[in-house]
Amino acid sequence: MRIAELREFAAIVGQEWVMADEDDRAAYSDQFAADESRHRPFAAIAPASTEEVQAIMKVANRHAVPLWPISRGKNFGYGGAAPVVKDSIVLDLSRMKRIAVDAENGTVLVEPGVGFFDLYDHLQDNKIPLWLSVPGNSWGSVAGNALDRGVGYTSYGDHAARICGLEVVLPDGDLVRTGMGAMSDSPNWQLYKPGFGPSWDAVFCQSNFGVVTKLGLWLMPEPESVLGMDFEFDQPEDLGWAIDTIMPLRRDGVIQQSPSIGNWLRSAAVMTTRDQWTTDKGPLNDKIIAAIRERFKIGWWSVQLRFYGPLEITEGSLRVVDKAFDKKPILSRKPARWVRGDPPEGSPVTGVPVSFPLANANWHGGRGGHIGFSPVLPAKGSLALDQFKRTYAIYQRFGMDYHASFAMGDRSLTNVNQILYDKDDAAMMQRVDGMFRALVADAGAHRYGEYRTHIDYMDLVADSYDFNHGALRRLNERVKDALDPRGIVAPGKSGIWPARLRKNRS
Amino acid sequence: MTAVIWLAVMIACAAGGLIGVTAASEEEQGTRIENAFRGALQDRSSRSPEERMFVEKCGMCHRQMGMGTVLLARRMDPKQAMLERRTDLTADYVRSAVRHGLGNMPKISRGEVNDAELELISRYLVKNNAAIHSRRWQERAKPVRLELDD
Repeated sequence: MRIAELREFAAIVGQEWVMADEDDRAAYSDQFAADESRHRPFAAIAPASTEEVQAIMKVANRHAVPLWPISRGKNFGYGGAAPVVKDSIVLDLSRMKRIAVDAENGTVLVEPGVGFFDLYDHLQDNKIPLWLSVPGNSWGSVAGNALDRGVGYTSYGDHAARICGLEVVLPDGDLVRTGMGAMSDSPNWQLYKPGFGPSWDAVFCQSNFGVVTKLGLWLMPEPESVLGMDFEFDQPEDLGWAIDTIMPLRRDGVIQQSPSIGNWLRSAAVMTTRDQWTTDKGPLNDKIIAAIRERFKIGWWSVQLRFYGPLEITEGSLRVVDKAFDKKPILSRKPARWVRGDPPEGSPVTGVPVSFPLANANWHGGRGGHIGFSPVLPAKGSLALDQFKRTYAIYQRFGMDYHASFAMGDRSLTNVNQILYDKDDAAMMQRVDGMFRALVADAGAHRYGEYRTHIDYMDLVADSYDFNHGALRRLNERVKDALDPRGIVAPGKSGIWPARLRKNRS
Repeated sequence: MTAVIWLAVMIACAAGGLIGVTAASEEEQGTRIENAFRGALQDRSSRSPEERMFVEKCGMCHRQMGMGTVLLARRMDPKQAMLERRTDLTADYVRSAVRHGLGNMPKISRGEVNDAELELISRYLVKNNAAIHSRRWQERAKPVRLELDD
């Protein structure tokens, strides 16, 4: 049906890089989905350069072909490589793998195909003393993760906040560089974020206004030391005071990373399978929770605090933490210490990329997956405790195992709720959908919105941003129509639909 | 109930403030991982183009502490959980797992690993399969010393 168009794309990227057989279409579908066909693309094309991306835009415009750009397609839990609109053509940028590090200034310019392991290997091979901030699944793209506002464990863990300068192919094929990159050959492109006039970097995060072909990112110079403390808390109710103890240190800048306080299932879901604990179908009961905690020697909640920098500062920071937790009813604490010259610490805390946390897809045995529900709320213990109790009750009501964390940002909490499922259990998948919708409604009633969501729920979540009858969406779609009148770039991404396809909104 | 994950932990050494890594001996590789959030550092080195391709495309999940290694350790002798140690892999099996997925392993697209790259990877992964190599001897009709690292 679109064979003629595929031929035109092949003339740009080469026949080998137009992939349209059944295996290809399946490989670019959402592999965590119960029904992978729902978001199955028609084909994928894989350009090797910015120039090829520009040429592809021209052809796509001529034929009004919806493209779904992916960096490496590992956005598991949010749809993977799959497009919102079925039969779109995936624009696979994973062949674009150039890396340019500025070791002295601590910056890198990456193309979308560069994965965290690629960049890690590049820094190691070239003995560049810069550290990554990696997400729990580091299989994906450095640029793609930052653009989707992914997070990591170090003080550079707010990845979108470390973006400095983009190169973007606009839907009409025009090429733009943001920030200081707007000046040809500027030495400041990766050094100064705002540029002159409006700043555009954030506009290309979680949007569909263009295709980012290069992304500047700041990297952390290897610190002299990483010191920290792991705290365990015995009772569910400890969540409130724990957050109120840590947040003042976060706000005043003593703690520069985002501590994530999470429950007992985090360890159990990665290290074990459910049938090792129980054959009961319902949510895990208190006896099993106690057994899991005993086995992993963890609390109901756990949190890791980490400090990066010269020993004089990190040791001082630890003393401040000690003082803050003095006489507080913690279950246990364990210090962590790495000093330059020690053997590598070997975890994401020091920027080591990993993939094993994805083993939690196997929690129910069989072929599993997960979906995240992650509303943002004020950084206040009582509100977090209330959010936890309501969410826990919803997990119980739908018979799912509670898996959650609260990540402490500068001023807010992001409550990441993982819903682990068995994709071959149809009844469970029904419950997952019902539960997700219940969670969105519950958060919405408290005026909390999600920071990021799965392709199935982008319209639902966009709907919850309802000020002045959805004025933000109207603005987004006015911009969309101005930049992309033919509606070719990622229609439906983040609930933003081009005029031509707006009737597809769910 | 005692699903302790026994996996290889790489002994790493610091060299001039930068990270260098050396492989642990076979005896050292049954290290018990108490805390999953430590000891995840992989050996990313390679000694041939085939191995290099494997490390680049598969290592993140199929070397030390990778998702694939962790899950395979549940299903078979943990000593064989790393694909590079397997003695039963064939090129067809590797190709099928990559293109069609297997258990929790997602399908890998041709954009990520093209057919030529997949061919290099399978050549590397069948290196320990004595049956394949002995068949090759017979085909050549003049057995030579088995070269595992071809």
